[in-house]
Amino acid sequence: MSETARELNDEKAGTEGGAKTSGSGAPAAAKPPVVVLSKVRKTYFRGKEPVEVLKDLDLEIPTGSFEALMGPSGSGKSTLLNLIAGLDRASSGVVQVAGSDLGKLSESARTKWRSQNIGFIFQTFNMLPVLTALENVELPLLLTNLSSAERRQRAQTALKIVGLEDRMDHYPRELSGGQEQRVTIARAIVTDPPILVADEPTGDLDRDSAEDILDLLGKLNVEFEKTIIMVTHDPAAAERATIVRRLNKGLLV
Amino acid sequence: MRAISLGVRNVLRNRFRTSLTILGVAVAILAFVLLRTVLSAWTVAADYAAKDRVVTRHKVSFIMTLPGKYVNDVEETPGVKSALLSSWFGAKDPNHENEFFGTIAVDPKKFFEVYDEVVVPPEQKAAFLTERRGIIIGDALAKKVGYKVGQRLTLKGTIYPGDWEFIVSGIYTTTRQSIDRSSMFFHYDYLNEWAKEKRPRAADQVGWIISRIEKGKRPADVAKTLDSKFEERDVQTLSQDERTFNTSFLGMISAVLKAVDVVSIVILAIMMLILGNTIAMGVRERTHEYGMLRAIGFLPKHLVIFVVGEAATVGLLGGIVGLLLSYPIVEQGLGRFLEENMGAFFPYFRIDPKTPPIALGLSLLLGVFAAIIPAYRASQLDVASSLRKIG
Repeated sequence: MSETARELNDEKAGTEGGAKTSGSGAPAAAKPPVVVLSKVRKTYFRGKEPVEVLKDLDLEIPTGSFEALMGPSGSGKSTLLNLIAGLDRASSGVVQVAGSDLGKLSESARTKWRSQNIGFIFQTFNMLPVLTALENVELPLLLTNLSSAERRQRAQTALKIVGLEDRMDHYPRELSGGQEQRVTIARAIVTDPPILVADEPTGDLDRDSAEDILDLLGKLNVEFEKTIIMVTHDPAAAERATIVRRLNKGLLV
Repeated sequence: MRAISLGVRNVLRNRFRTSLTILGVAVAILAFVLLRTVLSAWTVAADYAAKDRVVTRHKVSFIMTLPGKYVNDVEETPGVKSALLSSWFGAKDPNHENEFFGTIAVDPKKFFEVYDEVVVPPEQKAAFLTERRGIIIGDALAKKVGYKVGQRLTLKGTIYPGDWEFIVSGIYTTTRQSIDRSSMFFHYDYLNEWAKEKRPRAADQVGWIISRIEKGKRPADVAKTLDSKFEERDVQTLSQDERTFNTSFLGMISAVLKAVDVVSIVILAIMMLILGNTIAMGVRERTHEYGMLRAIGFLPKHLVIFVVGEAATVGLLGGIVGLLLSYPIVEQGLGRFLEENMGAFFPYFRIDPKTPPIALGLSLLLGVFAAIIPAYRASQLDVASSLRKIG
């Protein structure tokens, strides 16, 4: 584990609960899977017509793995990611993530669970333009009991990890796409969640910036032992993952 | 950074739109303050009434006259120090057709006893008392129209037709605002002589009688005594303290005042709808951001705080800007104009001290109300849907 990784983990005391990674560097296979999906179905309704997006899906994601979910548009990969991240509920089946059965959690309990266990990386960054990079990263910490100074300290550390310590006071409009995505990643790791979900994290970036982001995700997986679940269309991005899964018409193929 | 500050900082996001919204709210608040000032100024005119004067008029209507001899009966009534007969003349200056001013025929000697707040330089007062066609003019009117002492003035009578010749004997000022500074007062005898010759039925008739009462006497008691005195006569009277008498004029225009009151509220309601629309637009545009906030752990109540905080900030800023505009416009500009030109109706056209806190409170409150629906919608966003893209 690197020095900055140790720094972030050392500051973790202020955050509440949440599943923890061991940080021991032990092989992932020795740990229980962080995600277990059993007979999961997800059905949407287009008007009165049901559309089955996921069909009796079984899936186990090992702790500490770097997974890529691939598949054509409409195959159900984003829906699967939303279920794992606790953004959506399965129509049936069991979704167990970081030790919690998400189907049994209320809406507010799921929200709290997400804040402690999931870091989100979006394709379109979704930064708040009125906040600086540092304040954007600090955002999830507003929900913790940390003091203002502690929040700031942690946000600075997260930005240091993603290599943006010299851009802390910059607003999103003053950053490049790659830098914005780095801030998003800093925001995702600032609460030190065990799982990072990334929905097309390189989709809006040029090749060089995309490579930098994939390097960073790799670093977070290896040095910080984050489980990373990434939806992507990009074969080059998928190559960085340790496991690549393909979805087609709601089934893993 | 604090959670509440996020809502406030969102105000700066689209500065052009926010500026226009704040300006819209400010204009609404300015209109609100202006209308409230009109209302309070009407009431103030009544509030400025002297506490030691009683007005006696025809019991049936203000427009019906009293026998002139009643003035002696009034003056002999216990508690009355001095009584003044007055009649509304109604005239226009042909050289200033658009100028509206009160023209009242009075007993000049008694006038200064009953209206001791009226001040005229001694030599001008002496000239007024001795010159049958003498007239005194309020300083606000004199300044505006340019009347000078010694000037010959021809007025065109509206109730008593013909050309009426006057000599400007003096310019009066006042020590209190219980009498307006845009009126003219002249000799009742001048009018009555004309009436005897041209309109005998109007001769020896007066419009109303104003009594100055003795110190320590209650106006209500004196008024009661006066009315009982004329109870058995052909013409009965209605006597009221000056404030009540002035307020009865307000009663005549109460429907107008009520309409002004309603309009001031309607303006604020429109402001609320404009603000609500702007906030709703902002919420729609930020669906992804709200989805992100919900994803990373913010609860629906947090989104409500952000949206309401933003709307309340815009409302409050609009209120502050509106008030900052109100003072120079209402007090310095319009207020001075109305006081000088419509002093009879608006002797003191200033913003009521109660109005600014009410305006600020309402702008804040309406901001919060305006945000209710957008905030509710933001809080009900489905997280996955608001972040959804095809995939």
